[in-house]
Amino acid sequence: MKKILGWISTAVLGLAFLAPTAPAQDQGKEVLKIQLPKPMFVGTPKNIRTPNLETITGKPRGPFMVPVGTVLLSAGKPVAASDKEPVIGEIAFVTDGKKSGEDGYYVEFGPMLQWVQIDLGKSQELHAIVAWHYHSQARVYRDVVVQVSDDKDFISGVTTVFNNDHDNTSGLGAGKDKEYIETFDGKLFDPKGVKARYVRLTSGGNTSNDMNHYVEVEVYGIPAK
Amino acid sequence: MTNKVFRGLFVCAVLGALLFRIVRLDVRPMHHDEANQAVKFGDLLERGEYRFDPNDHHGPSLYYLTLPVARVAGERTLAELSETTLRLVPALFGAGLLLLFLLLAGGLSREASLAAASLAAVSPAMTYYSRFYIQETLLVFFLAGLIAAGWKYARTRSGWWALAAGVSTGLMYATKETSVILFAGLAAALGLVFLMDNPRARRGEGAGAAGNARGGRNAPAKLRTALHATLFLAAGAMTALLFFTSFFQNPHGLADSVRAIGASFNRAGHPGFHAHPWYYYFQTLAYSKTAGGPVWSEAFLLFLAAAGGIAAFEHDAGKDGSPRFVRFVLFFTVMTAAVYSLVPYKTPWNILPFYLGLVLLAGNGVGLLLRISRFRLIKILILAALVPGFVNLTAQAYRANFTAPSDPSNPYVYAQTIPDFLKLVAAVEKIAAAAPEKKDLLIKVIAPPDETWPLPWYLRRYGRVGYWTSAETAGDPGDAAVVIASAANVEKVATALGDRYQQSFYGLRPEVVLALFVRRDLWDELLKSRPPISR
Repeated sequence: MKKILGWISTAVLGLAFLAPTAPAQDQGKEVLKIQLPKPMFVGTPKNIRTPNLETITGKPRGPFMVPVGTVLLSAGKPVAASDKEPVIGEIAFVTDGKKSGEDGYYVEFGPMLQWVQIDLGKSQELHAIVAWHYHSQARVYRDVVVQVSDDKDFISGVTTVFNNDHDNTSGLGAGKDKEYIETFDGKLFDPKGVKARYVRLTSGGNTSNDMNHYVEVEVYGIPAK
Repeated sequence: MTNKVFRGLFVCAVLGALLFRIVRLDVRPMHHDEANQAVKFGDLLERGEYRFDPNDHHGPSLYYLTLPVARVAGERTLAELSETTLRLVPALFGAGLLLLFLLLAGGLSREASLAAASLAAVSPAMTYYSRFYIQETLLVFFLAGLIAAGWKYARTRSGWWALAAGVSTGLMYATKETSVILFAGLAAALGLVFLMDNPRARRGEGAGAAGNARGGRNAPAKLRTALHATLFLAAGAMTALLFFTSFFQNPHGLADSVRAIGASFNRAGHPGFHAHPWYYYFQTLAYSKTAGGPVWSEAFLLFLAAAGGIAAFEHDAGKDGSPRFVRFVLFFTVMTAAVYSLVPYKTPWNILPFYLGLVLLAGNGVGLLLRISRFRLIKILILAALVPGFVNLTAQAYRANFTAPSDPSNPYVYAQTIPDFLKLVAAVEKIAAAAPEKKDLLIKVIAPPDETWPLPWYLRRYGRVGYWTSAETAGDPGDAAVVIASAANVEKVATALGDRYQQSFYGLRPEVVLALFVRRDLWDELLKSRPPISR
């Protein structure tokens, strides 16, 4: 027993002796300082004041398959908006079928969160929603939420088709979809055949300014019989 | 006009100029070029290192003249520097410019000097670029210094003014190598005035018999003039030498400055996306309007300058005014404006050197209008008629500097960082505050140089920031807490990072967006500490 106690004591003493050496080894080390590359100096960059219809990044959208018989449902349909008095343009521009990026083809709504809502007349099976916010300049619209419903007030029976409001600024729930750069292709949202009468698109400003714009919104689906 | 009234009004003009130049200097996000200059100055401030770069960044005077301002502000490192401190340098020179107009007495009438000072005080172009940390306002100040000292020398033949003119010349060269265009313009204008006022010289006579006859009598005067010319040249050369050699630390600096002239001329001939039509500068000043934006116009100043230019051919330039001096200003302005307009490379701040001439001529134009009649009532009516134009310029200057300083519809805005970029900066700050490493979190910037700035300025207080020009060269972006990528690199970075990072876009300039990728755990941490990021 004495022998065992002796071994234990020796081991404890040994550990006690070794213990301070562990941090001592750490003290002998230091954080590896890696020299990171410095920024490169370059002259005045390009000044852009004119519209540019070219896409800056990304690839052209590939074909999007829809059921046979899918047609454009939204052409000329009535549009409502949270901002009743647009800064530029008219609310009806949203469904007038004109998608040019130039001035005179887009409607500009006030800053912060704003929405537009298309009334398709009756509940129909929806297969594609394409939105052009403003494509004469590469910019990103924030907190884009696309919802459909049969309730014009969007209180009940709301289906969210797209939501990139990742910090829930809109109060419509935090979305997982990614932000995207506007191009002349427009952004296609897939409603996956959900039936609805109203389509509402929300946004909260953009990377160029705090305003909200729409050149055109198209809703495709199978017309209700 | 009595001395008292003149002094009072002039002080008001200077105070107005100061007000427009030094208030809220941080209201506009740092421009790409300003950030370049600021980081370059940081090396000088922190380590005393400056080496003239003949390919870019222009002359050294801006950096060395920023040193005392930074010292007074108690800022010793790049991290401590502020936009206000940096922009205070051109702002003070921009306001100081008005004081140099006082030295033009005898060349410009009192009314003309006062009008020129008042116009310069509220000029949209001058106020805007006086709040811009680049070389142009300093160049204009030293140009005015050279004209004023030269004029004083012409009147007094004092060696001190020759010395002052030499120092101004050296400082012009040490500010921007393109000052050689202005030297040529000044020399040509001087030559034209001489030819106009000396008909015999115009006919190629005069240097012969008469000159010889006077030679004996004027020998001491000629010797003194030669001495003064030597003093002028020596002062100019020594000033340039001091600055370009970094006060004798970089012996190649002066030779590099000559190489820089070549680089500038090369750039002028190959302007790339800075190519603009010959009428760009005058269009910018005369009329500018974009869809949805207001009308911008300095036509009032151009009209007065035209009147002042016509008045240059009168025999009378008002009390204390000299038609010869006004003609000199007119010739200089027309010739330099023509050269700057013919050079395809154009940026709006290059308006300033000949804009100085326009302001002086406009002042003379006001003087002319006030001389139309000797009746006080008519003078008052003329002044009253000018008030709306002056108020309009003032309103435009306010709009240019305080309400739309980054708005692309503002004609003085050029490749300007947009306010949305500051939201990216704020987001990074909040993420760093939530991260355990705080400001030592690893940030990777993956963007070409023209889509990188002014990030190095805004990230100057972070310990671990690396810059790569493409996703291919940056290695694995997944070891960084924050990745900032240009649009062209977004797809590759996003693919590499997958869902482990939250992606959001921010504007840098019109048409240029940057993507911010934040490691998911930090993002979630940030969301917990609501309110959300203000966007």
